[in-house]
Amino acid sequence: MCDMHRRRFLVGSGASLLGAAGIAGGLPRLAFADPEADNTDLIVTVFLRGGMDGLSLVLPLTGADRGYYEAARPRLKIPVSGTGAALNLNGFLGMHPQAASHAGPTATSLYDLYLGGKLAIVQACGLNHPTRSHFDAQNFMELGTPGVRNSGFGWLTRHFQSATNLPQDIIMPSLAVGGTQQVCLRGNLETVNMTDAGAFRLDNIGISEWRAAQRVSLRTMVRNGVDEVHETSLQALDAVGIVEQYVNGTYTPSNGAVYPQGGLGDQLKLIARIAKLNLGLRGAAVDYGGWDTHDQQATGATGYFANQITTLTQALTALYQDLDGVGITQRMTVVVLSEFGRRLRENDDSGTDHGHGNFVLVLGGQVIGGVHGVWPGLRNDQLYDGADLAVTTDYRRVLSEIVIRRLGNNRLDQVFPGYNNYAPLGVVKGLDLPPWLPGTVFQDGFESGDKGHWTESVP
Amino acid sequence: MVPDKNAGTTPAPTRRQLLKAAALGVTAAAGGVAVAAPPAAEASQGGTAPMHPRPERIGASAPLAPPSVAVITLTRAGFGPWPGDVAAFNALGSTDAQRLQAWVDQQLNPAAIDDGPCDAKIAEAGFTTLNKSLGELWAQHYNNNPSDDVRYRPFRETTRLAFLRAIYSRRQLNEVLADYWHNHFNMNGDDPIGAPLFVHWDRDVIRANMLGNFRTMIEAVAKSAPMLYYLDNYTNSVSGPNENWARELFELHTMGAENYLGVLQQEDVPTDPEGRPIGYVDADVFESTRCFTGWSVANGQSGAANTGAFLYRPSWHDRFQKHVLKVLLPADQPDQVDGRTVLDTLANHPGVARYVSGRLCRRLIGDNPSQETIDAVAAVFFAQRAAPDQLKQVVRAILLSDEFRTTWGAKAKRPFEVAVSAMRAGGSQFPFVMGNSTTDSFISLYTAAGQQLFGRRSPDGFPDSQAAWSVPNPRVGGWRFTAYLVNARSSTNVYYLDVVNQTPANVRTSNQLADFWIDRVLNRTLSPEDRTAVVDFMAQGLDPDLVLPWNASVQNRVRALVGLLFWSPEFLYR
Repeated sequence: MCDMHRRRFLVGSGASLLGAAGIAGGLPRLAFADPEADNTDLIVTVFLRGGMDGLSLVLPLTGADRGYYEAARPRLKIPVSGTGAALNLNGFLGMHPQAASHAGPTATSLYDLYLGGKLAIVQACGLNHPTRSHFDAQNFMELGTPGVRNSGFGWLTRHFQSATNLPQDIIMPSLAVGGTQQVCLRGNLETVNMTDAGAFRLDNIGISEWRAAQRVSLRTMVRNGVDEVHETSLQALDAVGIVEQYVNGTYTPSNGAVYPQGGLGDQLKLIARIAKLNLGLRGAAVDYGGWDTHDQQATGATGYFANQITTLTQALTALYQDLDGVGITQRMTVVVLSEFGRRLRENDDSGTDHGHGNFVLVLGGQVIGGVHGVWPGLRNDQLYDGADLAVTTDYRRVLSEIVIRRLGNNRLDQVFPGYNNYAPLGVVKGLDLPPWLPGTVFQDGFESGDKGHWTESVP
Repeated sequence: MVPDKNAGTTPAPTRRQLLKAAALGVTAAAGGVAVAAPPAAEASQGGTAPMHPRPERIGASAPLAPPSVAVITLTRAGFGPWPGDVAAFNALGSTDAQRLQAWVDQQLNPAAIDDGPCDAKIAEAGFTTLNKSLGELWAQHYNNNPSDDVRYRPFRETTRLAFLRAIYSRRQLNEVLADYWHNHFNMNGDDPIGAPLFVHWDRDVIRANMLGNFRTMIEAVAKSAPMLYYLDNYTNSVSGPNENWARELFELHTMGAENYLGVLQQEDVPTDPEGRPIGYVDADVFESTRCFTGWSVANGQSGAANTGAFLYRPSWHDRFQKHVLKVLLPADQPDQVDGRTVLDTLANHPGVARYVSGRLCRRLIGDNPSQETIDAVAAVFFAQRAAPDQLKQVVRAILLSDEFRTTWGAKAKRPFEVAVSAMRAGGSQFPFVMGNSTTDSFISLYTAAGQQLFGRRSPDGFPDSQAAWSVPNPRVGGWRFTAYLVNARSSTNVYYLDVVNQTPANVRTSNQLADFWIDRVLNRTLSPEDRTAVVDFMAQGLDPDLVLPWNASVQNRVRALVGLLFWSPEFLYR
């Protein structure tokens, strides 16, 4: 375990009032962290940008809903038999056949993981907000504050701020893979953000003779100020140092895992690599775009969408299989989200338009596999706005369960302020901690009451 | 107990103290930042426009005096001073007000500015597509099933052209505005249909209209083949409507999310004193979708010609009556009138004036311009909405505002500004030539910083706030490509950014070298602490007044010193 001290970003202890939907003010670092209670779980969020057509990933196989599905999707429907037939999930719902594809001869498949109980699918899950704007919906979901656009911190950042079971010094607590830091990690200055490790270093570019000296001087200059430009420059410089010291050479996946070619495969591979380096990784975020299929989406189980699903399922599988080989899956949970689903009825361009309810995937060694949640039905009066799969499970319920049962943090009042009706759904194993309810902090900074419940009283 | 390291010292710097820029159509990479106490009126239905309080730094550094008006102007209304630019600016008058006015007047008449050197570089770049018409681009780079090389050439040429102009053109404000409007009406050029038509998009849609009239501009945008494909309207028909274009027209191009009222019924939207709705709702988007049915492309489909020109398809048009923004559009209007009426209504809406003006203010002034300034600019936008030079007048209003002249450091450079301003500050003669491997290497390195020119996939464009770009990847990306720029040289070992030959012969001590290059790169002084760091770098433990031998190692160190200045936080302020 490396001794390197990493600047832990401690928010000021003078906590101000937390409004009902507000993320205002400093989040009090809870004072009595138990140094023995070190939670090492890793959460990985994979955000499918553009509004993934959930009803082409998970779909009804029988009954009246099968009829509505087929009538609404003459060209896009996934068949129940023959070539391109859906895979059975629970006798009623099926899955896109590409979920059974293998990236290589030694690779398993996402469907195999489902059959092995490692994949949970939460049906009719999503954002309980009427917006059909990509940007609003993505932001609301990642900020964890539906309806509020201007939160300064993402939900995952607020988890890191409020957790009491993390050690003081973590080398690389969070990783944002891609060209920019995902909104769920907004405001987190400790996050390392990179596209690939070879491009995230200063030791292989510029004037070799003076590189090291330049770096020393840069460090001095970025420490000469405390505004955002200076602080984030220091963050970036620290992050580069970590990658240069610890991420070198080529990488071989374990356990026969094969990552599919391309961006998502490479990015999940990088997460696996970092996870194995014992740098203390607790959170990672990655994006996969191209889901806004307004036209030419598919012909049944083939076409563009099928290719996307192939890449997605193979990459998720590779990450799991790779880390399973070294025992990390026992403390890893991957959650796959998209800002909304798409309409039941296909449009005239063999595509689909923005919808509402979707499917959330949860993958990990401690997952309780199977189909979860409540199926609302596809009859017209059961649809949201007469057009879309409804939402019967708030996505925050799934994330909250992971945060509590896996990450051991019950400060839902911080992580999802304003979300008051959490109850576990049963998608992951772990200890149920009663969540903190929102309320006021006394003027002297003390909070009182039993853990999980406290009452206001005049001091 | 976990100690608070910051207890007892200056208040812990936190992002929570950053105050928010207006809610734009934000994406995952967007730059919305925290308010200390979010307004209670932020309703779940998309709510009222948030307030724009003044920004404060996360923590307080000892504030430096802002640089001269010359530097402020050239850094924000241009891409940074080229050697001699500051002196030329100051020679435009005897007061800052005179100089700024003269500079703005010149720059808003770009055709009258001689641009010989830049034109010469463009002529040497090996471009072959810049003068092709839309029809030629369509036929020669798209419709003939070309190889990727041919298909993507117009996009790749436009990328190199944009760098050339931003770095070498004297029409600096023009280039800043081109960059702005390319983001405002984002178009993905790195795309099978965007790429071949990108020369047309840049030349005929963006640059031809950006100093003109907004209503004219949005119709040019609406009817261009790239946009009709990018946001799917080429396929929008009464039997198969597609709302993508209509939604983004409202949300990103005209009204903005700040004017979006979400789920209300149209009849329940409150009106202003002139009877206009105070914002828009989903139904306005759906009705507008119907208005734009039939706005398509001559792409050979259904017996049409195959030229890439705008084509209105009457049989695709939804002929029945519609209601958009409380305007009744009767049934059976003549061709295109429905769509044009939507554009008219938008271009004449005060909310649009505010949204577009707010965005321009955030580009040119800082991340949190005052509402007073935005409102004043919006008043010009709205009053001049029929004027052929409306957008020129809007920019003039911004640049001549008190807030423009007196604001500094409320915004940071994005990778494009870092790259271009570094090359300008260094007087770099970097090649941007088709097929040149040096050019290609630089563009590859540049792209890794996350702001690929014309490569933003989503229609919201690249975010324009400091917060969005103050994350490690773009910051490190900028350090990497500036390190490359000070070290890049030709096959005959000629440095493109010639630090050595630009260093006067009598500048040889560490103090002198530091001061000379600080002035050249930043056009102002550094804080004493930062200056010391730079001097110490140059001196490497030697006496800072020692005259250094002008050998290869020292010359490399001076280059690295310039690189260090490009890396410094101070270089990022604008």
